[in-house]
Formats: sequence, C-alpha cells, structure tokens
Amino acid sequence: MLLCDPTVPGPDRDLSRAAALGGLEGRTIGLLENGKLNAVSLLRETAAVFEARHGCTVAPLYSKSNASAPAPEETLKAAARKVDFLITGLGD
Amino acid sequence: MPYDAERLHEVGDDPLAAIDYCYEQGWTDGLPVVPPSVERVERMLGYEGRPPETPIAVHPATGYECTVHAAAVNAVMAGCRPEYFPVLVAAFEAMNEPGFNFHGSTASTGGSAPLLIVSGPFADDIGMNADVNLFGPGNRANATIGRAVRLILMNVFRMIPGISDKSTQGHPGKFSFCIAERSRGNPWPLLCEEQGYPEGVSSVTVFAGGGFCNIENHGGNTPEQVLGAFADAMANYGCITLGQSAVVLAPEHMRVLAGAGWSRKQAQDYLFAQAWRPVEGMKAVGKHRDIEYGKQHGEEGRRPPAGDGQFHRGLGPDDILILMGGGDAGGHSSFIPSWSRGRGSLMQSKPIGVCIDCE
Repeated sequence: MLLCDPTVPGPDRDLSRAAALGGLEGRTIGLLENGKLNAVSLLRETAAVFEARHGCTVAPLYSKSNASAPAPEETLKAAARKVDFLITGLGD
Repeated sequence: MPYDAERLHEVGDDPLAAIDYCYEQGWTDGLPVVPPSVERVERMLGYEGRPPETPIAVHPATGYECTVHAAAVNAVMAGCRPEYFPVLVAAFEAMNEPGFNFHGSTASTGGSAPLLIVSGPFADDIGMNADVNLFGPGNRANATIGRAVRLILMNVFRMIPGISDKSTQGHPGKFSFCIAERSRGNPWPLLCEEQGYPEGVSSVTVFAGGGFCNIENHGGNTPEQVLGAFADAMANYGCITLGQSAVVLAPEHMRVLAGAGWSRKQAQDYLFAQAWRPVEGMKAVGKHRDIEYGKQHGEEGRRPPAGDGQFHRGLGPDDILILMGGGDAGGHSSFIPSWSRGRGSLMQSKPIGVCIDCE
C-alpha cells in the first residue's frame, strides 16, 4: 500500500537572525505592547532596567490591536527606523 | 502535481499495520486514522475542481500552506467520504480570512476549536445531522469533517498539542466540532440566506468556539423567560468578554420564540440587551478594563442597548449568531462562547462547492 504524506514541506524562507547589537549603552528601546492585561506595565518595568543599567532611552510605545496576530508591517518598519532594539511580551 | 514521489510511504498491505504506521509518524489525533492510500486520496480529489496544488489556506506566521491535496489526504485519514470534501475546503477558505486568525485561536492557552456550522441543502445532501444529539456521536459527516479540520491543523500547520498548541485545558470539540443547521421545521430564514448567498447555495460558518454550555429551561413559556436563561449563561463572569457568541436554539425553545412572532433580529437584540454584568461586579472578580468598557460605551463604539454601568457580552446584537438545531424534545439549547477574552477571532463564512465573485 502506498500512503500519501499528510504533512507539507516547510516554506522556503530566509529566517536568519538580525545581527546582534555591539552594546547596549545609550541605545534607544522600542516597546511593542499587544493589548493584554499588564503588558504595558511589564514592558515599562523591563525598559526601566535598561534605562538604569545602560543609560538607554525609551521611544514612544507601539501597540498592536490583536495579541495573537503579527504586528502590522508598517508598525515594525516605523519602529525599525527609530529604535535600536524592541521589547515585546505577553504580560498575562 | 498531485503527488511528490518523495512524499509517498510504502507500507505493507495489512490495514492494521498501516494504521500503526500512521501512529508512528505522529499523524493522528490520538484515535486511529484511515490510512491515506493514493487511491482514496484520488477519489477525494474528484470532488474539487481545482488542481491539487491549489492553496486553500496559509499559516501567516510559518508560511505552511494547505493545498487541496494536503486537505484531501487529511480528509481521508479523518474518515470523510469524498462528497464531504467541499465542506472542508470551504471551511479552510473561511478560516484563511485574516479576521478568523486561525493561528491565534489554535495556539492560544484559551483552548478553542473551530466550530463549523453547515447551513443549506448541502447538509442534507451529504447526510449531516442537524437533529437529535446534534453535538454528539453517531453521524459520519459531522464527526469526520470536524475531525479533518483538526488533522489539518496538526499535520499541515503543525499546531501540535503541547508545542505550538498551548491550550491550557482545551475541550472535547478539539477532536471534532461540526454541526448542521436544522432546516426541518425552522421558522426563520436559514443562515445561508441571511448571509446573502444566492438561492440554493449552502454555506459553512467557522467560529473559534470555547467549550459547550448547555442551557436548560423547561419552564419558560415566553421569549423573555427562555432567552433570560440564555442571557444569564452568556454573561456569567467566567464567560463574559467582548467576544462573539453562537447560540443554538433547541426546537422546543424555538417554538416559544416563533410562537410569539419573534424574529432572529429581535432575539439578538434581546440577548445583547440582557447579557450583561455590572461594572462593580466585573471589578469584584478582577475582569474590568476601562478600555473594554469604552469599546461598548465610548463615543465611537456607543451601542444604544449598552447601558451605563453595564458590561455586555460582545459589541452589539450582530455579534450573536443564532440558529436552530437538535431534536424535537427537550428544553436544552446551547451557548458557545468565543475563544478567550475578546475579538482576536471573528466568525467567517464561505459558500460550499461554488465560487462567488472569484477571479
């Protein structure tokens, strides 16, 4: 008996990581909140650690309306132009 | 390109050994599957007019693509007869709409399952059950179409329990969650008619649903009494969110509404107006959020039925899908809440077996 495979091959995508930052000192942090309860609090607390330890500054908050859907491309592109690194997370 | 030779598996002719082989490959939902032989898959493909390589849904985060062929293989494994296949294809085309967000509703701790509601003559054509034991076992079409949805989510989109499907508890509908709207004795227009499809065209509606809630009311003899029980269930503190709702009226309850001349719209309006909890109560259980209350009561989102100090279920009456289903006897209806806490997934529908306004 010949069986068909019910799975599909993975898509051919370039998923390489972005180059790591050379350092954190004085960098600009982006925060992307996802609308979940406590998300903003968690992100701001986390950013405060970077501010205190590395002299980072925090850019205005970015938001997305659906926690489980990818952020709109324009949001990510806008953030990429203004920040050195981005923090996101759930907050539940 | 119906088959890729590298993606065929040679097994012996012993069916039980083939079933075990499927288990060993991790292709099952925990229950035995029908071995997806080339011949069975070909018969399934005979019920879809487009080439096998045609994509019907794409996972937005990973890029995994469900083709007609991949859907057919999983439909065979679920036990579908070939004539069921158009429902499955239409369901995934509906789930592929961005508003449904099948990644989120499948991956989430919320543990929802796509509820499929088939409306129109196609349900009878393939022998679906819209009657006694609607959500229960005993009907091949209901059981296997719903099961095929889960197998595709697992095998094609790799939404694997414990890995990429992180449901805290899940619910039994994650094995199969597929019903038909009852047309026999139904005093209201069918969903497919209300959805605006041409006469004679059936539809499938997909809804990321949480666990089933039975609504018992054998004593209510007016629409307000009957629906009062529904509204209370819809607004209980464990369920209430801004999300949508599916309400399946038992024929016995439908007779009370229709006997009083109530339309679907009246029932939707009444349920939205009555399904609420006080803001103070929401605060007492830790679920109040100003931003959510504002969506119901703010200037842009102001809905007339949303009372001051009242947090309602959903954003308005249109968020409540109502249909009839189940056996003649018994004051047992059901309410199915939306996935998790809000509007991360919105129900979608597609016509079955036909293409409307396609390129």
